[in-house]
Amino acid sequence: MTSVSIVERGGGPPQRRRRRGGGFSYVLPALVLLLIVFVLPVLLLLLRSVTEPELGLQNYRELVESATYGRVFLNTFLVSSVVTAITVLVGFPIAWLLVILPKRWADLLFGIIILSMWTNLLARTYAWMVLLQRTGVINKTLIGLGIIDEPLTLVNNLVGVTIGMTYIMLPFIILPLVTTMRGIEPDLLRAAALCGAGRLDAFRRVLLPLSLPGIAAGGLMTFVMSLGYFVTPSLLGGTSNMMAAELIAQLIQSLLNWGMGGAAAFALLVLTLALYALQLRLFRRTQAGRA
Amino acid sequence: MSKLLSVGALFSAAILWSVPLHAKDMVFTSWGGTTQDAQKEAWAKPFAKQSGVNVLQDGPTDYGKLKAMVESGKPAWTVVDVENDFAVKAAKDGLLEPLDFSIIDKSKLDPRFVTPYSVGSFYYSFALGYNRDQFKKKAPKNWGDLFDLTGFPGKRTLYKWSAPGVLELALLADGVAPDKLYPLDLDRAFKKLDTIKPQIIWWSGGAQSQQLLASGEAPIGMFWNGRIDAIRRSGVDVGISWEQNLTAADALVVPKGVADKEAAMKFIAFATGAQAQADFALLTGYAPTNIGSKDLLKPEVRATLPDEHTQSQINLDMAYWAEHRDEIAKRWYDWQGK
Repeated sequence: MTSVSIVERGGGPPQRRRRRGGGFSYVLPALVLLLIVFVLPVLLLLLRSVTEPELGLQNYRELVESATYGRVFLNTFLVSSVVTAITVLVGFPIAWLLVILPKRWADLLFGIIILSMWTNLLARTYAWMVLLQRTGVINKTLIGLGIIDEPLTLVNNLVGVTIGMTYIMLPFIILPLVTTMRGIEPDLLRAAALCGAGRLDAFRRVLLPLSLPGIAAGGLMTFVMSLGYFVTPSLLGGTSNMMAAELIAQLIQSLLNWGMGGAAAFALLVLTLALYALQLRLFRRTQAGRA
Repeated sequence: MSKLLSVGALFSAAILWSVPLHAKDMVFTSWGGTTQDAQKEAWAKPFAKQSGVNVLQDGPTDYGKLKAMVESGKPAWTVVDVENDFAVKAAKDGLLEPLDFSIIDKSKLDPRFVTPYSVGSFYYSFALGYNRDQFKKKAPKNWGDLFDLTGFPGKRTLYKWSAPGVLELALLADGVAPDKLYPLDLDRAFKKLDTIKPQIIWWSGGAQSQQLLASGEAPIGMFWNGRIDAIRRSGVDVGISWEQNLTAADALVVPKGVADKEAAMKFIAFATGAQAQADFALLTGYAPTNIGSKDLLKPEVRATLPDEHTQSQINLDMAYWAEHRDEIAKRWYDWQGK
């Protein structure tokens, strides 16, 4: 960011080109690091997926043919979609609240959100387990109030996974949303009201479209992170909600079937990248259509 | 530019460069938590004092990491605590150093848990545990009761992973004689498990199993015996039935290619000694693998250990599991996810 603004103040085109090159060399250590600790291991794992136990595509064949893997992948995308949708629905009002609250209250709310991010993931997941279980606080309260007779099954199923993951993903949607919303001119909403738009219209036709970049960025981040999620589904979900990451970890760490693990990991990576590309495309089109 | 490049290279080199161990250092790797704390107290500390070898702790045990280390040719772990069926499989895959029984005294060790590549680290039982608050009138007694949804209603909790234990207890509950367990009749075992499947909550680790039992979320299930004992000591009224308890063991192994084999062997010799095994049992409730340890323990402690409940005890067949680990796993996860 800073280097770009310096460049622009700096003037003439030849100089700009040279400075850009300088910018690249600053990024180089990070790129080299990524190459060594990310790209290379991924390639090696990919290589194993076609060489273990023998040279060939047998791992991919099994991946496609076996009902188990298909089910796990389907479930992974289902859970990630549900979690992303709910996270957006819950995160949006919170983000707007952060923008319009007086600074003191906004800071407090912000602190709470950030603090929860800093707390150990395992501790937070166990806390949900204690809250959600049949003998947990939520069920006991509801029964005590006479709202339900039988405890609700809130954990070890899709409900538990969704609640736990939504909570963990919330900051990742709120933070980009807040950034986007802070850039929205408050006068625009006032203008909408002056022009006779009701609250709903102002939301639908002004606030929502202007927040879209934030929703897209946060939503994508939530979705992609959810795809690789591991601890929370393992503890709050049932075995029929197994996620791909859990299966891959099992193949790599415990069964030492690196060929199959590599194939599953690569399939997940390709599907994720494909979705990312699709999203970028759709998003660019809507943006272009608006402009 | 070139300066930046060299800084980048240096930075990358620093990341790749693992700090070489001091000549008198070794690394012991186990599962973390209270078990490894006890191993540190009972084995590592006194061993360091006696031998002058500094024992660093690492963990948790990760078979994938172990394999990667051996493949790299320079394993950072000197001695690793693994599950017994993995020890057998890893030896077969060529990932382990053979043990030196001129340093480790095999004659005092429980022969059930000794192979050329591994010795028992400690042994434990899968036993039936239950929350007394939920079963006040009648207490469950055996694996059959675990499958009796009318007599003992509620969720039951079983070990999540494909490993020795669950399939065996399903077959025992279905009336298979203990000496006819192996080879496992998988179809029959899964059919039996199907009868309670909607009521099963799977536990993936010891802490979770304790949480489920103590809270009553799952008032009955299969547990590592030490975990039930720990809940009881914390004041929750839980019962244990030792009938047909299923023994399994952890094993100590040495990854192939370790720099200091002698330190590894000496550490294992010390850790499996009578005193070290007795001290560990006292701290954890798991049974010693050294037959001399019994005499060093108080009778009331001995009563809580699996080796006092050998009458109907069944040994899980690790050789069978090592042989069929992969094919069972495939069926297991397929069945579980349905």
